[in-house]
Amino acid sequence: MTRRSTAVEEPVAPAARDGDAIPTHRNPLRAGLRHGRMPEPCTMVIVGATGDLTERKLGPALYNLMLGGALPPEFTVVGFARRDLSDKEFRDHLREGIDLYSRNRPAKASIWESFSAGIEYQRGEFHHEEAWAALAKRLDRIDRDRGTAGNRLFYLAVPPNLHAEIVRQIAAAGLSGHHGDEHRRNRGWARVIVEKPFGFDLASARRLNRELRDVFDEDQIFRIDHYLGKETVQNLSVFRFGNGLFEPIWNRRYIDSVQITVAETVGVEGRGESYDETGALRDIVQNHVLQLMAVFAMEPPIEFKASDLRDEKVKVLRAVKPMSPAEVAEATIRGQYVSGWVEGTQVPSYRDEPEVPPNSERETYVALRLAIESWRWAGVPFYVRTGKALATRVTEIAVQFKQAPLALFSRAGAGATEPNILAIRVQPDEGILLRFGAKVPGPGLQIRGVNMDFRYGSSFAVDSPDAYETLLLDCMIGDASLFTRNDEVERAWEILDPILAAWASGEGGRLHFYPAGSWGPAAADELLERDGREWRKP
Amino acid sequence: MTTSAAAKRALAMHRRLMTFGEAESTVAQPWVEESTTVRAVEAHLAQLWTEQAPSGDPTFTEKGLHHARASVLNLIVMVPDEEAAARVVETMGGLGVRHPSRAIVLAADPAADGPPLSASITAHCNVGQEGSEQVCYEVVVLTVRGEAAEHLAGVVAPLLIHDLPTHVWWPGDPPFTDPIFDQLVEMGDRLVVDSSEFEDLLRGLRRLTTLRRRSGVGDLAWARLGWWQELTAEFFDGPRFRRYLPNLNRLTVRYAVAPAHRRPGRPRKPPPGQPHVRSTLVGPMLYAGWIASRLEWRRHATRQPLDDGRLQLTLEGRHEMVDLRIEPVETETVPPGELTEVRLRSYGETGAAEFIIGRATDEAIVCSNADGMTAMLRTVPMELPTESELLADDLVSDRHDPVYEAALRAAAVFLASARELELTG
Repeated sequence: MTRRSTAVEEPVAPAARDGDAIPTHRNPLRAGLRHGRMPEPCTMVIVGATGDLTERKLGPALYNLMLGGALPPEFTVVGFARRDLSDKEFRDHLREGIDLYSRNRPAKASIWESFSAGIEYQRGEFHHEEAWAALAKRLDRIDRDRGTAGNRLFYLAVPPNLHAEIVRQIAAAGLSGHHGDEHRRNRGWARVIVEKPFGFDLASARRLNRELRDVFDEDQIFRIDHYLGKETVQNLSVFRFGNGLFEPIWNRRYIDSVQITVAETVGVEGRGESYDETGALRDIVQNHVLQLMAVFAMEPPIEFKASDLRDEKVKVLRAVKPMSPAEVAEATIRGQYVSGWVEGTQVPSYRDEPEVPPNSERETYVALRLAIESWRWAGVPFYVRTGKALATRVTEIAVQFKQAPLALFSRAGAGATEPNILAIRVQPDEGILLRFGAKVPGPGLQIRGVNMDFRYGSSFAVDSPDAYETLLLDCMIGDASLFTRNDEVERAWEILDPILAAWASGEGGRLHFYPAGSWGPAAADELLERDGREWRKP
Repeated sequence: MTTSAAAKRALAMHRRLMTFGEAESTVAQPWVEESTTVRAVEAHLAQLWTEQAPSGDPTFTEKGLHHARASVLNLIVMVPDEEAAARVVETMGGLGVRHPSRAIVLAADPAADGPPLSASITAHCNVGQEGSEQVCYEVVVLTVRGEAAEHLAGVVAPLLIHDLPTHVWWPGDPPFTDPIFDQLVEMGDRLVVDSSEFEDLLRGLRRLTTLRRRSGVGDLAWARLGWWQELTAEFFDGPRFRRYLPNLNRLTVRYAVAPAHRRPGRPRKPPPGQPHVRSTLVGPMLYAGWIASRLEWRRHATRQPLDDGRLQLTLEGRHEMVDLRIEPVETETVPPGELTEVRLRSYGETGAAEFIIGRATDEAIVCSNADGMTAMLRTVPMELPTESELLADDLVSDRHDPVYEAALRAAAVFLASARELELTG
């Protein structure tokens, strides 16, 4: 993106980001306004629009974006699904969702009426060419009537096994934008948003990526991981690269080890069947944990924009070497919860959950020791754990620093030997905590560990935006910083596939059990004890 | 002993400000001293957040306050009279989680007798949304009398939380030439005013253009134009209409005034939480100044000097001469001073085009009439923001707004040229 050339000094906006937002320098009235970035006029096609996601998340997110003035007036929504609905019925369906789930609710009649004039519904079977032809015709008509300029955003709100067929049909109907179709190049853009899971293993992820790439270029594909959202990635990046203090010590010389925890208190809660096919490694580690680790450990990007950020993240993942079966047995622990008490209520054993086979070997907990073999991180173990039905709900990255080289105060109490900890809490109460030793006031020399605690919530008097609102807007603007690229997805599977294989063959160690409400199996504690360390209890 | 009128006034104002202590979010008993010292106030503030609860829970102080005290900013509020005091109470009550960490509300009256310093301190904890933690803050109300009121800096400085930015909010018509104004403004990084409350608008706008603050000046009258600006800019985001922008040749801005039968005599009291609008013209002038400065229009001639809120200027655009019309509209549905309608007219290759935003209570109708067809008749929300919301937004800001500064200069120039003729001819 070229620098803006307005005579006025630009307010500090997220400058130099990817994407083809309308360059504000062409509209002199845009400078300094709240919405410095405005998406181009476009139509969003929700494929599988009658599902839960549309009602709970997409509808409210779009409505709130509109209320905030973040959407261009031409913006149009087309719901596409099998169910036989009229435009009006679909609008009513969306409105019910807004009245129930939107942060601004209920929808206001006159405003809704005006907004819903840009909401339509197309009925059709996903494998029927005629349905897609009818959709294409409708989109052309919308371009003419509403001035959406041929820009289309497809949101695949359907299970991944339908993705291949849908993108094939999008291409066949001539809706895939410029890919392999030169004469459409000037007719606006096409983008597609897909939700996780991004495959089941490396082979299926590759197949899924190939199917998407047959139709779309990588820069048209937006893989959504709403869990990380915008704030975490950017907060972590600002913490590391916006301060002069931390980056110099962000390496093997000063850091002893890193712990990443994604703990949930809930069990599988009715998702028994699908969870039993997935497990904690695929559900959480493949995307959330490895993404957190990559942002934590990456080198400074050349610019804070999508391609540079993702280049650096994938380099971290490439430095994590896949394990041999013996290494899997030594460096991984998988667990499954048995009956226990969480937050004062009794939770049944995983194997007693509905739809879960009574002899299931599926892991609901996993602890790993990963190594990033790079100059910066060689020799620093990354301990990673995630699980269901654990003691508290918390997501954090904790950095343990090396000890002071000389024990001057060895007789001054436990604090004297306690290592310094920097904990980056993602949820709940996003914040940063630094733990260090301080002298207890008084005549003697006693040292006690104290916390220096910073919380975003009490230092900035603003609310965080909803993840879906940010991500949808980013996609319309064409900013892919917060979406996952195909090479990241595939590399994550290259790391995890050997672990899954070794577990399946039995060479990777047995399944351990832990009571619900605990911090996981005892074997996970032993994993760290062998290295002379212990898990934090965040 | 006879109590002077000034002292009575000061006492009444202080009572008004004390109503902070009755807010629902208060968790500690208000600390009230009719006669005290800065040192005593400082000492009370210091222990508010440090002493541990008798129960031994380290996360609570003995006053039952949670230790998650916000560290965002200091806010100094200068209250000139009792009416303003009531408003400050109302407005600050609406700030919610966006409240400054420490607010110091100052009433200074050099003419009053009585104790030089009265103070009250209340601590508040806001229960945020579900699952989020409580964030706490405190409000210090000071009434300074007699000679001490001429040396406010020394009273306020020790009471600020160090290393946090300090904003000074001066509701009403600030005494720009008073040394007290300079003293207080010097203490802050940013000054927040509402130019619609200025008695002499031209003088006030001119003074604002010369004020140099480290992190700028916030003007709530400008903030009220936010939605109008967004909607106006939206017309020209797409290439289709953007080509009309250089050829605009008429800008009409209409704004609300109270119906004639309401106007004579004393102005009505503003509704609670809303400013006392004295200069209804500031909104349309700032809007016109904004468009003109963004599009590099210059003043050329005065067609019709300011008369009964109406004026007409000819401006020199880059390609066209522009007719600027500002017209009052008598209405009761929109508060005085708010814009009611904006029309931008242009000539393109296919004839005239017009871009219109019209307001009806809390909604706006937006439409364009270009390329020979009416397009996109839309209804969008345009709720009147409360003073709390405007202030809360401004408290988050800590930078110069060059767009505002340019609009302010242009507005002052336009107003001066409309008024000079009014005065001389």
